Amino acid sequence: MITRRTFLKMSGAATLAAGSVSLPQSFASLVRPVAQKRKVALITTIYHYRSHSQHISDRFVVGYPKEGSWHHPNTQIVSSYVDQIGDRDLSAHRSVQFGTRRYDTIREALCLGGNKLAVDAVLLIGEHGDYPSNEKGQKLYPRYEFFKQVVEVFERSGKAVPVFNDKHLSYSTKKCAEMVADSKRLGFPFLAGSSLPVTHRLPAIDLPWGCELEEGLVVGVGSSDAMDYHALEAMQCMMERRKGGETGVKAVQMIEGDTVWRAMRDRRWDPRLLEAALSRSETHRGLTDRDSRTQDLANNGELQRLVKNPSAYFIEYADGVRSTLLMLNGAVGDFTFAGRMKDGKRASVLFYLSPGENVNYSACLASQAEEMFMTGRAPYPVERTQMASSILDRCLDSRMQGHERIETADLNIRYQAPRASRFCRA
Amino acid sequence: MTSSANSQRSVPGVLPVTMPVRPSGKKRPQIAAIVTEYRRWSHAEHILDRFLWGYGWDGRHHYPEMDLVSLYVDQEPENDLSAERTQLFPSLRRYPTIPEALTRGGSKLAVDGVLLIGEHGRYETNEKGQKLYPRYEFFKEIVKVFRDSGRTAPVFNDKHLSWNWDWAKEMVDLARELDFPFMAGSSLSVVPRMPSVDLPLGAEAEEAVSVAVGRPDAYDIHSAEAVQTVVERRRGGESGVKAVQALQGNAVWELLEKSSWANGGLDPKLFEACLCRTHVLQQAQKRIFNHKYPTVDEMKRLTAEARAPVVGYRIEYNDGFNYTLLMMGGLVGDFSFATRVKGRRSPISALFFLGPRNLCSFFSPLCNSVEKMFLTGKPTYPVERTLLTTGICIAGVDSLHQGQKRLETPHLSVNYQPTKEPTFRRYE
Repeated sequence: MITRRTFLKMSGAATLAAGSVSLPQSFASLVRPVAQKRKVALITTIYHYRSHSQHISDRFVVGYPKEGSWHHPNTQIVSSYVDQIGDRDLSAHRSVQFGTRRYDTIREALCLGGNKLAVDAVLLIGEHGDYPSNEKGQKLYPRYEFFKQVVEVFERSGKAVPVFNDKHLSYSTKKCAEMVADSKRLGFPFLAGSSLPVTHRLPAIDLPWGCELEEGLVVGVGSSDAMDYHALEAMQCMMERRKGGETGVKAVQMIEGDTVWRAMRDRRWDPRLLEAALSRSETHRGLTDRDSRTQDLANNGELQRLVKNPSAYFIEYADGVRSTLLMLNGAVGDFTFAGRMKDGKRASVLFYLSPGENVNYSACLASQAEEMFMTGRAPYPVERTQMASSILDRCLDSRMQGHERIETADLNIRYQAPRASRFCRA
Repeated sequence: MTSSANSQRSVPGVLPVTMPVRPSGKKRPQIAAIVTEYRRWSHAEHILDRFLWGYGWDGRHHYPEMDLVSLYVDQEPENDLSAERTQLFPSLRRYPTIPEALTRGGSKLAVDGVLLIGEHGRYETNEKGQKLYPRYEFFKEIVKVFRDSGRTAPVFNDKHLSWNWDWAKEMVDLARELDFPFMAGSSLSVVPRMPSVDLPLGAEAEEAVSVAVGRPDAYDIHSAEAVQTVVERRRGGESGVKAVQALQGNAVWELLEKSSWANGGLDPKLFEACLCRTHVLQQAQKRIFNHKYPTVDEMKRLTAEARAPVVGYRIEYNDGFNYTLLMMGGLVGDFSFATRVKGRRSPISALFFLGPRNLCSFFSPLCNSVEKMFLTGKPTYPVERTLLTTGICIAGVDSLHQGQKRLETPHLSVNYQPTKEPTFRRYE
């Protein structure tokens, strides 16, 4: 087995200062003339208009708006592996227009047809495409499988480069942990996750780093396991800023249907947090859709009429802090957070996802990946994504086990969030 | 009014909703609304509904500490909501005339604040393309009641003051003469910005550009007001506008080819900044790219395909500051601006954030600003801002009507100072 030490020896790379995320770095390749474009390989499930692979990877080629000007990354997508070529495929178009060569295997895409790793960074985007779902309702995107092939090339080449993994690491808690362990073992920067933690917020605030947070609540919408994941990572990017940092999750429970309304009556969450979250929503449904009136949705009795199948995800952190995700399809159309501090103060935000084709939030996310590609440092810990991925997986276990509370020794994931906020606000 | 007035009647065909019970106690200001029409998505609906049902604010559902008690509605379209709203809120009574709404059927002014919302409705359009909303006429009726009663109340006028400069000026003069608090303008002046930036007070702003959706006489005021809110903070405060020229079509595209205002164009970095702040940048290669910076040829094609007027107002301020207001529907779908500041490497730029229909949350900061005036008796920001932007837009329409002629505007030497603290939604 190759350890990090032997790996570094093999690669002959220098370990750079790790910065706030305490990930080891090992990239002699990072020291290069600025003019030379970073070669990026795109490893993806499918590539069509408005797929994650299209709207994220295009930004590395055509640029994107950043801080009031059109930013052109010093990158080139030199190769791609596209697992499924659908009717709406655009990867052939990109080959012609941008010289992105499509290879038949991941190994070839990473080695540009040769024997050794020949790119400077990897975009792993395993979202969309025709893949089966398991009995837990998880779509079995092959992110872990792709990642393992990437790691295999790294190992064979004695060299590794930064990897960005879009959305959750894997549907499986165990596979997530293995992916993170691999990145640490080989010492390569690894960034992952949703655009929600880094998109614009209304208001443009973060929780104070080190705050004495007692309880959090997120309201989200969409299906499982696509959109609840986004909501959980949005939750985690707020919760991780609490005093003491992330200490892991000791138990989770997911409930659905009328039991959610019973839980609301039983005050399983602070009703003021629900009001705060809903007050930040830009998309009230029901009567607001009917004649655009405003609504006090948390208190006007409409929620139960609007939400036919609510679900609640309860997360008990090891340090006693708790958080709830409420998926309220039918009541709102966006994602909001509210948290209560020990002194009773509350903070609440909307994670703003702009409508329409530009999907500016993916530029916010691409910007984070680009920063890692250029600096060799992940701007925030991949453990955030590991945590959110694993919470979701274990919540779906709870659902399978009669919606029972389950203890989660495997969510003993500890990390320290960076003090600096990374959401888009410049 | 007491809290009992907030209970709700059931209305046939309307879903029952639990209504808020507001605390009774100290005297709450009584508010009258004078509106052109009250229907879904009308300005009256967005604003008045917020006074009736409250709105999300600072992490709570906020109920204005005042009661909307009387209503005058000039027109009733098929989808009128005023009848339903007055049924839902028995405390809100509709009156057939403006004086009756203000006196609540009595002989003297019987309200503590007036909302004048003259936007939407079927009104004539003149040869210049201006829709002749009767804001001035309504205002004059309000002032007459004030005079007859020997008492006044704060007035908020939604959007620009009037389509007619002399009338707009008279409205401001009358408010001064009778000494009542008067606020006006577009919601865009107080919406959140992405990012949440402002011009530092006293900064040496040199030039501004805004790129937005819209057409003259309707949306030009939104851009002008929103940008005025920023640039009025420049060194020396506002000293007014000396000339306005409206350009159309090719003349606008030519601005992009000339690299500076001095060359007869505009600062391309400001234009680029606007296109980098918009969240709705239309795409030339549809369903191929979702977010690519367009070439000028693509911009021309996009606006032509959308049949959107391409209009620019070139606005020359008395102190040498210049502002190009661009309306480019088909290219963008929202409002963004950029301004160059002496000594700064990059422009200050932002999107004026409106948020999606149907909630149209951009009305919330406007309502909150108006509530403050009703509670304190002091305008939250100067009405001179709206007087100036009203004049700018009228001059723009006039210039277009006169063949894109540059018009000197000595009447727009409107002087005022901005508020010390920004008044846009900053969440602090």
